[in-house]
Amino acid sequence: MSVRDRVGFESDGFYKFVTGVLTLFLVSISVFPILYTFLMTFRPANEFYSNDVQLFPTNPTLDNWTFAFAELGDALVNSFLIATGTTLLSLLIIVPGAYVFGRKQFPGKKYFFYIIIVALMFPYILLIVPISDFWFTLGLYDTIPGLWISYQLFVAPFAIWILRDYFAKLPRNIEESAQIYGCTQFTAFIRVILPMAGPAIVAIAFLSFLTAWNDFLMSSILTTGTGPRPAVVELFITVAGGDTSDWGLITAETLIIGIPPTVLYLWARQYLSESFEMS
Amino acid sequence: MSVIERPGFKARYDTVKSSLNEHWFSYLLLAPTVLFLLLLVWVPFLNGVWMSLHQWPFGSGDPTFVGLGNYEYLLTWGPFYTSLKATFVFALTTVLQLGAALLAALLVVNIGKFKNVVSASFLIPYTMPPVATGTIWLYLLDPSLGPVFKFLTQNGILQEPIYWASEGNLALAVVTLVTAWTFWPFMFIIILATLESIPTEYYESARMYGASRWDTFRHITLPHLRSAILVAVSIRLAWNMTKVSQTIQMTGGGPGYDTSLLAVFLYRFAYEQGQMGMAFAVGVILLIIMLVFIALFIREFELEEAHA
Repeated sequence: MSVRDRVGFESDGFYKFVTGVLTLFLVSISVFPILYTFLMTFRPANEFYSNDVQLFPTNPTLDNWTFAFAELGDALVNSFLIATGTTLLSLLIIVPGAYVFGRKQFPGKKYFFYIIIVALMFPYILLIVPISDFWFTLGLYDTIPGLWISYQLFVAPFAIWILRDYFAKLPRNIEESAQIYGCTQFTAFIRVILPMAGPAIVAIAFLSFLTAWNDFLMSSILTTGTGPRPAVVELFITVAGGDTSDWGLITAETLIIGIPPTVLYLWARQYLSESFEMS
Repeated sequence: MSVIERPGFKARYDTVKSSLNEHWFSYLLLAPTVLFLLLLVWVPFLNGVWMSLHQWPFGSGDPTFVGLGNYEYLLTWGPFYTSLKATFVFALTTVLQLGAALLAALLVVNIGKFKNVVSASFLIPYTMPPVATGTIWLYLLDPSLGPVFKFLTQNGILQEPIYWASEGNLALAVVTLVTAWTFWPFMFIIILATLESIPTEYYESARMYGASRWDTFRHITLPHLRSAILVAVSIRLAWNMTKVSQTIQMTGGGPGYDTSLLAVFLYRFAYEQGQMGMAFAVGVILLIIMLVFIALFIREFELEEAHA
């Protein structure tokens, strides 16, 4: 029996070979650099500087990891607090907004949506200069709540864009039916619509968390060494400061910061891909 | 002949009032979003334009009004044009991202076995903080310690390592490629999700009429992907333009100003020199370039809405 691909073509040998090679190539350039670095973190310092290029360490050690954890310590806690707060605040703001854009008709809707689109495409970096000046005046500079608020700039426009589509695709007239059974507009939203949008809301929560955890731009500018500086900025300062004498420590720090979002992302993947469809 | 009267103030006030009465629930739910975005986009933006007319030191300290002085300075300053050129070359990273994403999505959608593993592994570069992946590449490509050049020199492929960071064009190429490697999965996610939503019947009937693989790609797949690609490309273009961390990490914007993209330029003005007014003037110029893409995006959005 011959093998057919999704679109129903018979797969001939040559075609299969080419696609196989291309797939393998893309997988290796995506994964191999990180995998190699991961294996390096188990090398003691002297093996790091040796001249051979080999995958596995001869005398594996956990020193790099223990030092890296000790070094990052508080910064990881800061990252976690910043990302969690950003997520909670973003859900409060985004979910109602996206619902209205997805399912309600009202005068001025189009113009309100332009606010979202412009914010989505705006070169964020230029807003950060006045935001830091503004936060300085308001006393939000170098505080965790200051970051919670400012990350909404990164999270809200894109999340509303995605979630709006999801809400719009839910069956029509649910609200009306719910209201016939005695719901108000508000309880119809909370008790009927929200549970139906569960997967997309989970996806938005993950995106918010990852955006805040991964971001460098905002936190590097809005925090100082004595304030709630997150792990990403800590790592950046070590590397950009030119202190790259201890690559073992640096690569271990890199993976401590990099692995949590990767695990979360892969875990949330099914929710994410459902919500990213743009037909 | 009748004269159409324009609604007076009272009449307009009544319209606003009645639509508020009727749609209060929508406006209420919308309020937080709109307030936050006004606070985070429009207030800082207008404040920033004002700042760009000043010599504005960071934190406390008194600004001095200089009118268009900052803009005048930039437009007559050589490195600004180096930066502009670097920005346009760097924009190619979006094209590379689209190419990789399209290829990967078309491969994945037809995979039988290991589909999950393959598409998950494609996502990995994007899931890590760019600062983390930037560090990884900085290590891998380190001319004296990194494995890439060790490997190439030991196997006789290169005579000696290439010190790419000290050569303008190479440094810009490395930064552009690393950015492409980091962010292409974003487009991959969008394109794959959209590909999977195309009904298979389309392909089945096309095949019955004897269409080739290329025909179906050209007449079924591409038209369905059109708006996903446009959305992904415009978002990515805008976002790539504001990425600074990897570039600063890998080259510091140098050698000279060769890899100082406009965003990096802005960052250097603001946080190395504390010249907030000048930094924002760079930002305004970046924004003017971006407005073209924002306009395209809005046009696409309006076409979509007209179809729906």
